[in-house]
Parts: sequence; C-alpha cells; structure tokens
Amino acid sequence: MRAKTLHDLLKKGDRIAVSNITGREAGGVSITSQKYSPNIIGGWALGKGGEKIAVSDRSSIPVFSDFGSLLKKTSKNKYPNKAVVYSPPQAVYGDVKEIINCGEKFIETIFIITEHVSIEVTSKIHSLALEANVDVIGCNTLGVINTMDHVRVGAVGGDNPEESFKKGTVSIISNSGNMVNTMSSYLLSAGLGTSFGISTGKDALILTPLLDFLKLAEKDENTKLIVLYIEPGGLYEFEAIESLKKIGYIKPIVVYVTGKLLERKNLSLGHAGAVIEGNNTSASAKMRMFDEYFEQNSFDPKKHYKAEDLKRGIRITALHHLPQAAQFIYQMNGWNRDYEKYTPLRLNPWCINLGKRAKKLSSDCVLSHGNIPQPYRSQLEDLERSTLGATVTRTDMRNRSHASYSDGHKVGIYGQSLTELMEKHSFIESIILYWAGGFPKHEFETKLVEMSLTASLTNGPGTISAQGAKLSTSAGNNPNTAMISTLACIGTVHGGNGRKATEFLIKIFRDIDFDDPYEFDRRSIDIQELALKRAKEFMRKKLSAKDAGIDYERIPCIGHPVFRGEDINYDPREKSIYNYLKGIGKTNIFLEFYHLLVHSLKAVGATRNVFAVNLDAAIACIWLGICWNYLKTSKITIQRVLDIPFLSFALGRAAGGAGEFLDHQDYGSPMDMRIPVSECKTANKD
Amino acid sequence: MSAQITELIFLQQMADRFNIPVPEFITPPCSSKNLTDALSRWGGKGMVKPDVLTGKRGKAGAIKIIHNSREALAGMQKISSTPVGEKLPRAAYVVQHIPKKYEIYTAITYNSKFLTPSITVSLSGGVDVESIPQKDIITIPVDIYRGLDAYQASGILEKLKYPSKYISQFARALVSYWDMFISTGMKLCEINPWIITPQGKPVACDFKAVFDEANFKFQNLKLDIPEYPEDISEFEEEMNEWQASSHQGQAHVSDIGGSAILPILFGGGASTIITETLMEYGGDPIFLSDFGGNPPYERMYKTVQICFKHHLKDASLLLILGGKANNTLIDVTFKAIADALTDYAKEHSSLSCMVVIGRGGPHLAKGIFVMKKSLEALNLPHVIFGPDTPVSLVAEYAARLTI
Repeated sequence: MRAKTLHDLLKKGDRIAVSNITGREAGGVSITSQKYSPNIIGGWALGKGGEKIAVSDRSSIPVFSDFGSLLKKTSKNKYPNKAVVYSPPQAVYGDVKEIINCGEKFIETIFIITEHVSIEVTSKIHSLALEANVDVIGCNTLGVINTMDHVRVGAVGGDNPEESFKKGTVSIISNSGNMVNTMSSYLLSAGLGTSFGISTGKDALILTPLLDFLKLAEKDENTKLIVLYIEPGGLYEFEAIESLKKIGYIKPIVVYVTGKLLERKNLSLGHAGAVIEGNNTSASAKMRMFDEYFEQNSFDPKKHYKAEDLKRGIRITALHHLPQAAQFIYQMNGWNRDYEKYTPLRLNPWCINLGKRAKKLSSDCVLSHGNIPQPYRSQLEDLERSTLGATVTRTDMRNRSHASYSDGHKVGIYGQSLTELMEKHSFIESIILYWAGGFPKHEFETKLVEMSLTASLTNGPGTISAQGAKLSTSAGNNPNTAMISTLACIGTVHGGNGRKATEFLIKIFRDIDFDDPYEFDRRSIDIQELALKRAKEFMRKKLSAKDAGIDYERIPCIGHPVFRGEDINYDPREKSIYNYLKGIGKTNIFLEFYHLLVHSLKAVGATRNVFAVNLDAAIACIWLGICWNYLKTSKITIQRVLDIPFLSFALGRAAGGAGEFLDHQDYGSPMDMRIPVSECKTANKD
Repeated sequence: MSAQITELIFLQQMADRFNIPVPEFITPPCSSKNLTDALSRWGGKGMVKPDVLTGKRGKAGAIKIIHNSREALAGMQKISSTPVGEKLPRAAYVVQHIPKKYEIYTAITYNSKFLTPSITVSLSGGVDVESIPQKDIITIPVDIYRGLDAYQASGILEKLKYPSKYISQFARALVSYWDMFISTGMKLCEINPWIITPQGKPVACDFKAVFDEANFKFQNLKLDIPEYPEDISEFEEEMNEWQASSHQGQAHVSDIGGSAILPILFGGGASTIITETLMEYGGDPIFLSDFGGNPPYERMYKTVQICFKHHLKDASLLLILGGKANNTLIDVTFKAIADALTDYAKEHSSLSCMVVIGRGGPHLAKGIFVMKKSLEALNLPHVIFGPDTPVSLVAEYAARLTI
C-alpha cells in the first residue's frame, strides 16, 4: 500500500475531487461532507461543467465536465490528492482510468462508493491502481471518517457525522457501511470515541484487504483498540490472522462476525466459489479463526476476565455486547475512557402505546416511556405543534400533480372530470375542489365564498391594487399586465392579513374537539369564554409591553382604518356575510368568535370602542370553515389552509383589476397617472 | 441471485462458440432411431443426466449409464422426474460416453487473495474438489488484462506432472476455457471433469458457471437461460422480479420458514444481525430482508406492499428495524411503509399485529412522527425506538414480545 498509517488515507488538508457530483446521492452527501470538513475542491459530471453546488455557510463546489477539466482549472499546488467515485457502475472503470492517467503523480487514494460494479472491472481497477501505486478503498464503500482531524469522505456518519463520531481511541473497520455508524454510537455508550471509521466495501473483491487496514491501524498513534465487523466471503480474515500471528500484532481487537444464518440457506452453485477458495470463507470458519487467534471463546458478559485473557481481544456474539467488551479491554490495560460522561445502552422507547395489548404481555415487556434525546425531542415536539393537517413527503413533482390530470382525452381536477364540473357544478364549487381537494360539506359555503370573492373585487379606485391596474393601463400595457399589476400591488399588508387571521384562529381552536365549524356543541364549547380569555390575555400582554416600552403583537384583521370612530364599528362587507349566515340560521364558530372577541376587547378595556371585524377575517373564517375537517383528518396541509384566504382575495381583486383596466383604457388619457413634477416634493431627512 | 447455467446450456449454446471440445448429446424429444444411431456412433455407450441446478449429480445417483435406446428412454423418463438433493430437474438428456485416460478438475474464478481471476487445476478430477488433497491442487492468479496464455497453461500442467505429450492439446483447451470465462462476464466457471481420452484429447464433461449480472458482457451475451424449477416461494419470486426491475434501493428477501414476525429490515449488515438475534432469542421471523439503499417512496411502498400481501395476515408482530442510516431518508421510507400499512388496513379489516420500530438516520424525527400518527390512526399497539437503542436489543425485545 502507498499509505503507511490510517492518517495517510484521510487527513486534514487533503483535497478531494468527486466524480458524478451532481448525482442524487453524490450531491447530497458532498454538501454534508463539505459542511463537516470543507475539503472538496471540486467535482465533475458529464454535461454539467460550469455548474456549482451551493453549500450553506461555505463556498460552493465547482463542477467540471470531466476530471481533466478540473485539473486544467486548478493550480498545481491545489491539485486533488484524493478522488471519490460516485459514477454509475458502467462509468466507474472509465472514471478510475482517467483519474489514474491524469493524476498518477498526485492522487494517493481513490474511494469508490458505487455499488454494482462488475467483478471484472473491480479486478481491473486493482491492477491499474497497483501499477500506479494508488490506494483504492471499495468498491461499494461508504467512505472513511477521521474523527481526530474532523474530516470525512463519502457518507460515513450520514447527515450528522458529529452525532456518532466523537474524537476517541477506537478504530472501526467494517464490511458494512451502516455498521460503522452503528458501532461508533454503541462505543459512545461506553465513553469511547472513534479515531477512524472505515467502510471497507462489501463486494466479493475488497480492494484494500483487512490485513492492510490492520497494519495501518497498528501504526495509528490515536488508535488503542480496533473493532471489526466481518461478513462471510473471501479469504481476507484468514490472510490477516495468519499474518497477525506471525508479526505479533500488538493492538487488541474486538470482532463481530455475522452471516452464520446464511449458511443454512442452500447457496447452490455459488458454493463452488467458496470451495475453491478453501474452507476459510464462511462465517463459522471466520468465527473459529478469530477465537483461535484470541485464544478465547466468544465474549460472555457475565464472566470475569483477567488482563491476559483479553490481550489480543475477543469476539462478541451480540452487537450490544460491544461497549462492555471494549470497556473490559480498556480497564485491563489501564486505559482511561475517552469521555467521563456516557449513557449505557438500554431499551429506551421514544414512543410507546401498547393499548389493551399491555395486559396480555409479561411485565418485563411493558416498557415505560423513555427519554427522547436532543435534538430529536425538540424536533418531534415542533412537529406535534406544527403539523395539524397532513404531513407530506416532498418528491419530484416536475411531471406530476395531485390536483389535476390529463391523459390526452380526459381532463379533470382531483378525480372529477372537467366537463362534469362544467355541467353539474358551479365555478365556485370547482375552485373549492381545486384548492381544498374536495367539495364543501354545506351548500351555503359556496355562497359564502362567492360573497367573499365579490367583496374582494374592489374597495374603490384609491386602493393600492386598483391603482396598480390603473398605472399599468395608463402606461399602455395589455390587459393581462394590468391584472398582474393588481396582483403585484397586494401583499402581506394589503390583502394578506387573512393568513394571519387563519394562523390566529388555528392556534386557538386546534385543541378544541369539533369536526364541523357550523355544527358544534355549544354546551361544551363556550365561545364567549374563549373570546374573553383571549381578550384578557391580549390586555395583559399589551400592558406588560407598554410598561417595558416595547411593541406588542396585534390581533389580526380587526379595527379597519376606514370603518372606525363609532361605538360599535362594522366593515360592511363582513357584516353582509355575517348577516347572511344569521339569516339562514347558521353560525360559523370562527366568525362568531371574532365578533365576541371585539366586544370582549372593549369590555376588558383593551380597545376604546368595539372594533370592526375586517373582511379579511371573514374570508379567513369562511375558508377555515371549509378546510377544517380536511385539516383535522390530515387530508390537507396547514400551509395550504394558511395560503387559501390570500389566494381568495387575490382572485377577487385580480378580477377587480381587470374592471379598472377596462374602465381606464376606455376613458383615461395616456400617462394620466403620472404625478406632475410640480406636485412632487423632496423629502428632507429628519 | 446471480444467473447460473449448467452443462446442458453450455453444450447447447456456448461450447461451440468458444471452441471447447465436448461430448455429443441428445435432448428430448428424441426418437428411438436417433438414440440408436447416436449410440452406435458413440461405441454403444452413453449416459443419461438430469438438467438440474445443483452439483453432485453423480453422487446422488442421478446419472445412468445406458447401452440402448430403450434404456435411454426409460432412464430419461425416470431421471427427469427424480429430485437431486431438493431440486427437481428441468429435463434429462443423453450424452456420449467418453473413454478416459485422465480426469482433470478445473475452475476459474475471482480470487480474494490475489484480487484477480485465478485458475485452479488438479489431475484428480471427477470428484468433489473438497475431497482432493491440497497438495494435488494448483491455483495461480491470471492477469486480468493479459489473460491466460498457452505457455502459462502448459506451465501449470507441467507442475502437475501432466504427461508432456498431451500438454499442448490441453493447454490450448484451457486458453479457450479462459476466453469463454472472460468474454462472457462470468464470476465462476467450473469444468469437472475434463476427460482426457486415450488419444490425449480433452473433452469438457461437466460444467457449471455463475455470471456477474453487473457485467455488460453477460448482458450482451443474450443467453437463453431457461427457468429451472425453483423451490422458492411466490413471495420470493415476486420480490425477485421487483428487485430486478430497478437498481434504486434493495429489495432482497429470503424465506426462512418462521411464522410470527414480519421483518422489514434495513441495511445488509443490520438485517442479518437482527435476524440472527431474533432467532437466538426465540423469535420466529418469516423471512430475511434487506430493504436499504435509499429507496424512493414508490419503490419502498411497492416493496412493503408485496411483503404485506403475502405475510401480514399471519404475522403477530411487524418489525421495522435498521441501524442508523447514512443515506436512506427515514421520512420517505417510513411514509411509504405507513401508507402501505394504511392501505392494507383499508382492504383488510382485521389488522391487529403489534408494531415494533427502531431506526436512525436522516430526517428521523419526521419519519417517526409520520409512522406514529399512522399507527395511532390504525389503533395498532406499537413501540418506537431511536438510534440510541441498539438494533440487537430491539430485536431481542421483539422476540420476547412474540414468545
């Protein structure tokens, strides 16, 4: 091998180049790696030259079209000395050949992450690399992590390497990538950290055999103990043990050999391969070889060992015995643990609900709730808090939609044919279907949405959104541009308060048990009490904020700037909606709450008169009424419910903008919206 | 599973192509006259062999010497319907009997010691390689680029003290043998025995090969590999097809005969450990599974849907367990499992199994949250562990729950 110690395989200061870096796995892993240790100097991918991979809080990773181009654009003193191959199986040979041809003088190690590389290609790579004196880890390795230097290649440690890999004195060498991670977590439970975590790869040919890794680990000054995870197949362990015996290997080893189960399966013709290599490739044979090397039977957690018993190490038969076996070895050698604080392994259920089944189980099977460690506890609490409604998994939606479909003949919305919607349903019902994913439960809700859309059409030519349409028309723009201008002139302040109102209402009502906002049990839900409680709370916060001289959070969608000054104020558009509901004998729990709230605010002295409930609040209440059951049954996301009131206002107001365009186009003079220079003033800085 | 072939496919589709001398053969349907004509050409002696995907046919008494067409037809009928080991033959066929002076064992395979292909030769062929003393076997590495040349081949034979007057002919056959191995994407190829006739002509008289399906040479070979009667279950068969349909994520299962625990396991390493621990502590897993490799939602959904379709009805415990994933997105895989479980429950009203889950990895909290919500909605008793509980402890606990 070219490397003399594990440190030579991967260390701080290495410069790494990554093949196929824009691939699904390579891209994501490289971003995490770069955050952990900014050692990737660039990558390459066919047809992607010139792109960059953004890494938050770090400089982005440049992408080149091939390895040669990467070298051309890199100064010689910054040439990569390590390469990571993520290419598809068919491209691995070509990429490795290019890396070796172009980088023979400076590439020290190639890590081949790709799975399903043919055994012939793997063997050819070995031959090429041997001749060029380049070390190859893989194929099918997960990568390597050097915890002491805080660097990694590949995906060892997943998206949070810090969690499992803390500085320490154990090197893990594993045929399984996943087990590198798992075993390092187990070791932490004994107060032991990791110096190196190495995934050797698990294909039939492992291009850096176990013996080479053990020799490198022996020379690694940080490593006291070596932990191995071994799978069946290959002569790697046989070769290693024969050599260890001869050279008098000095570091203790704890080994877990898996795969005995597979021996029970009839391997058919595959057996011949094992036979040709001899009898030393099976899990049973490897277990026997290690036990002979250790001069000990497998680890018994109840046994008292003497120091000399575990001089060479021991084999464990259950993975959760690893911390205890490692601890024994440390104690017997008089070595200190890497960490004083540690939590021993135990069954720690994060969530448990055995229901009636608990009564049928033996008492030792009925566990009590465990402790969820951070950051998972906070994350789960946040999810519990925030995920009223559906929890969705994001996916590639480029050519897909849940909302609409078309097979070239039939077009529809959420499974409803468009022609049937045209013939049997109204425009408003179809919009509700498109936005909420289903029809409204009550017929009158269609009327309510229609009323809210009508109310959104206009609030006169002076509103900012109407002005937007007029300005655009005055400049000679087309109708669609005028509508866009209208939409461009609405925002969180003008029209967007519906979102805040919806958020406000969800916070208050999310834990109250009712399915239908129009058919709720008034005996169990006291809206007056709710409103009063909220008003008092607001008053308390307002007073505290005033005392502290700071601003306070207002209640959204009350106290319209136009409709004020009376003892009791109304937004006439909202009043119309409210009165319509009264007229048909219905109560929207949210709108009713709003009305009681404005009165309660006056009653507790938080406002000097009864504020108007604004149209935005009514729109929010109407749509929350439609969506409530979908939300409670997790059929739609909370995000969607928050966005709909604004969309509803925008839809009405865009139509209003069209009206202003038609009017202004007919009667307005070109450029008439321009403010004469004489009326423009220079604002002085105060 | 890798693609495998036995002697009959070699005789029919490969031997001629690679100029490897083989005996004449006849496959059914064959008339009495054809057999009589062939036997007269062959010196009145032939053998009936089963076409079966296993070795040790001779030892199992599945090879019959025949001298006339009547014996041949009766032998073919009997042998084609008699299992060898636990495997049923696909057919039976008749091959020419080759008079022998020597029987030679050969195998070419990739060798984990040399990290290259290697050729193994012994003059004590015709028996299982295990029974040949190591001193009588020679294994040498073959340069993957240069291949096996006639000089190298003759060098091996000289070392084995193979009669020098026959070396040239056999060395050329060994070079053809190598050419076939390397140009068809094989992982392993065993010819045992080569029969060397009294005239020194080598004839390949039994054959088995395993191909590397990742090798484009095998894909380009377009061999017509027949379906052998397999003792695999419908479940394994369906999952094998599904696994073969995409490289995105693994979908390996293997029935192990249990009946209590339906294991959805992640990671090749972890899944073996978990299954071994389950069995060690008295659990009864239905199959061995490995579903890692960061499968997309659709892939994971269909994978578990197949598992549920075949086995959830009978399982008393659903175990979803894996180590701390490096790449596999837990929210995606758990959402797919939760949805498949919910959809299964919609179709089957009597879902009552317990669910034990243990996992770590990217987007874990979201994955656990999704799973918990679904299990609560389905009213299934459940225990969920995070990566701070070892998979082997969870497996031991799951086993105890089913005892």
